[in-house]
Amino acid sequence: MSNIGWKDVLSDDMPVELAHEIDIFEGQMELMGQGKLDEKVFAETRLRRGVYGQRYDNGQRHDGFESRELAFEELERFKGPDTLWHAPGMQRIKVPSGGLTPKQLDVLAQVADEYSDGILHITTRQDIQLHFVHIEDTPDMMRRLASVGITTREACGNSVRNVTCCHLAGVCRTEAFDATPYSNAFADFLLGHDDVQDFGRKFKPAFSGCESEACGLVMMHDLGYLAQIQEVDGKPKRGFKVFVGGGLGTVPHQAKVLSEFTPEEEILPQAQAVSRVFARLGEKRNRNRARIKFLVAKVGIEEFRRLVEEERKTLPHDDRWTAYLDTLPHYEEKPTRPPTFLNGQVGSSEFNQWFETNVYSQRQDGYSVVTVNLPLGDLTSKQTWELADVARKYVGDNVRSTVEQNIVLRWVSDSDLPNLYEELKAIGLGDAGAGTIVDITACPGTDTCKLGIASSRGLAGELRTRLTVKSASLPDAIKDLKIKISGCFNSCGQHHVSDIGFFGNSRRSGNFKMPHFQVVLGGMWRENAGSYGLAVGAVPSKTVPEVVDVITNRYVEERSKGETFQEWIGRIGKKEARSMIQPFMKLPDFEQQPEFFSDWGDPRVFSLGDIGIGECAGEVVSLFSMEISPAESEAFEAQVALDENDPARADAMAYSSMVKAARALVRTQFLDVGDSPDRIVEEFKSRFFDTELFFDQYAKGKFGQYLLDRHNNPNPNPDNDSAHRLIEEALLFIEATHVCESKVGGNVLIEI
Amino acid sequence: MIAPQRLCVKFYFEELSVDVDTFIPVFHRWIREDVVSNEMLLDVADYKHILDGPAIFLIGHEADYVVDFTDGKPGLLYVRKRDAGPSLSDALGTTLTQALNGVKLAENDVELAGKLKLRTDGATIVLLDRLSYPNASSNGDGVSSAADAAQAQLAENLTALFGSDATLTRVANDEREPLTFELNAPSAPNVDTLLSQLESVN
Repeated sequence: MSNIGWKDVLSDDMPVELAHEIDIFEGQMELMGQGKLDEKVFAETRLRRGVYGQRYDNGQRHDGFESRELAFEELERFKGPDTLWHAPGMQRIKVPSGGLTPKQLDVLAQVADEYSDGILHITTRQDIQLHFVHIEDTPDMMRRLASVGITTREACGNSVRNVTCCHLAGVCRTEAFDATPYSNAFADFLLGHDDVQDFGRKFKPAFSGCESEACGLVMMHDLGYLAQIQEVDGKPKRGFKVFVGGGLGTVPHQAKVLSEFTPEEEILPQAQAVSRVFARLGEKRNRNRARIKFLVAKVGIEEFRRLVEEERKTLPHDDRWTAYLDTLPHYEEKPTRPPTFLNGQVGSSEFNQWFETNVYSQRQDGYSVVTVNLPLGDLTSKQTWELADVARKYVGDNVRSTVEQNIVLRWVSDSDLPNLYEELKAIGLGDAGAGTIVDITACPGTDTCKLGIASSRGLAGELRTRLTVKSASLPDAIKDLKIKISGCFNSCGQHHVSDIGFFGNSRRSGNFKMPHFQVVLGGMWRENAGSYGLAVGAVPSKTVPEVVDVITNRYVEERSKGETFQEWIGRIGKKEARSMIQPFMKLPDFEQQPEFFSDWGDPRVFSLGDIGIGECAGEVVSLFSMEISPAESEAFEAQVALDENDPARADAMAYSSMVKAARALVRTQFLDVGDSPDRIVEEFKSRFFDTELFFDQYAKGKFGQYLLDRHNNPNPNPDNDSAHRLIEEALLFIEATHVCESKVGGNVLIEI
Repeated sequence: MIAPQRLCVKFYFEELSVDVDTFIPVFHRWIREDVVSNEMLLDVADYKHILDGPAIFLIGHEADYVVDFTDGKPGLLYVRKRDAGPSLSDALGTTLTQALNGVKLAENDVELAGKLKLRTDGATIVLLDRLSYPNASSNGDGVSSAADAAQAQLAENLTALFGSDATLTRVANDEREPLTFELNAPSAPNVDTLLSQLESVN
């Protein structure tokens, strides 16, 4: 054996620039090891290489009874604030437009089994994530990926994240044109560009080929592109309707139209101008308000548009803006096999079921797109290279990841479908149900994410199992509903744009905390994530399968012909929607139902750190619990007011709910605070905000600031948009009061 | 010969009459009670939704323990990730010792006892290191490849432990897959004997 490493072995296979970047990163790791680099600087550096933190990397883990220190070696060595050097982390790998080749799949499989737990996880932004990776393995991992043209650069951090694109682009029956080459050119142009290095927060772009389908979900992105053809001088002209300032996160924003039509030669300079405006005027100090959506909301879309147009005029010319256009006429995907037809071949019932849900007939006759339905977005290393071989045989390089955490094989010649199905089934990837209610999206949640509150993957797995068992007997009306789950309010599971969405939180019952999920109903996946659902109430995690049954059964019983789930929720109203889940909102005591106090797939008692000493559980409730309840009701009333198209009342109720929640919290320390909002806010600020007791570990003072902002700057003319946002903020503020009360420990008890 | 990046050994279940979910609370308890000496256990990962693959992971800093169903062959897979020793022989000793210790822990666990039994007369051994131990086919020029050399070294070490009739066969898998061997040991001693032999060797 010799000392030859991957760097030497792959030196001829890596693009020079990528190889150099990885060497630099390795050097920075070395400097960090020598204590010559600032911790925060290194953290951002590694994030921009996709090297992310993971749960327990602060060296603490709660084992169900107590929080224990994990005895990593070199406990004094860090890779970022509160992040131990030797703790395993997550590696995010960018996949622009979701495009993958069999060769890339081979290498991805190999690095997964040598450096992670051997599982590749597809994310809701078409990335691939590997977990439990040691930082010292990352340079070689990056080199191996670079050798097949994959970079992890700017996969995380305050940068332009993976550029997503509809997985059907180019073969879709309803698109204006194939957005893929534009999406790829955009990704190439902005990767490492000087003008995208000084953002206050991340920046997520998306491309879509048509307006009515879900496609690229452009309405929920920082910058979204919708393909359009306009007639200019009597000739069809390609361009994009451009959206800016969308986003999910804690408070979802619908994107605004930046331009009704940006011709193809202008999309890159316009994006550069947007980047410059965002870098110059976007928030830098308060990361909770640093996404571009806040800048757009702050200055207004008209002013933002003017700023971008002014900026555009100042840009020095760059040949790359249009160079890629010359290659467009030659851009094409090559099928591996000639077009063929099934010609009424009779398949097995299993095949027919799979065909119905997993096969999309392309616009090109004789070809189909096959969705490989990955449970929870996961596949093993072994499955990955087996899938690579299937792809080689049937579709060549025409493989893409999807935002629903699946993989598609494009350009499957139709008569190959039965054999392809058998081969997928043989490697454990033949599940039917793609895009249906069983194909549940979930972020990593408490499995690996540092921010996870509840087990989104545990819940998704449970729902998938239960729904799959009865999938054959499910009424047609609910088969195609979308269920999406996030482990916390940060929306990585995209719960806002599903029919039935959930995001994790917690409640206290007696002296114990109980994992909960907020139920979010009526979001719209179609029309590029056309509208967002609203939370109707939180239920214990263990009741969610029953909650899903109750909601879907009621929908089946009550829907009128052709009525969508979203229309039905709109018709019955949020008040009635809440009444469906009300019976599940009653919290049992630990002694009655201890299983409610642990999460799906995790038997540890959920946060024992909150056990009080000497309290007489079951016979007393805290004053806080009594007083927070009206605040929650008021927030709900605000949603009803919004439903009734009364934004002024919705705004007032949302504000009032925050004041009530703040009062409940203040009264845990100061009973005589009175009812004056000024006094309540003043006491809240001095006791909980200024002292940072109210601060979230990651969101810091963000949620408290919602109350202070609304109190100090009431909106004289609230519209539906602003009222909707305030309601979302009120819900988050109330959640934060629960967390704060649990943390500080209310000491005022009343007998009931 | 240097230790590979990762070395894995999988012992197969002779009997398994518990639902795979049962391992989740068991592994959490192992973490809480710190039952594995010389290793830091970190977390449990549930991948039972993957068909015919790894189902439940006990993730550790030095090694992972996996209830694994790959290729329809249920077993306990031990993946040594670090600190296995400088040489291939050292790494094998460490890996076997800890894997067999894991077998013993599982068989004697209060919730699993009597419900599972692992066999020692066969195992799969995987060298997860495509740089030092590429799974290349023999070039036929008579020059011993890293794979051949590794096989010879492992066979020598394994026959000393598992009996002179033990054989080690290279699995004819794809070159992209890691270098893999099947151990067949008809007269293999039981777990305790193997562990005491390993202790005396070390």
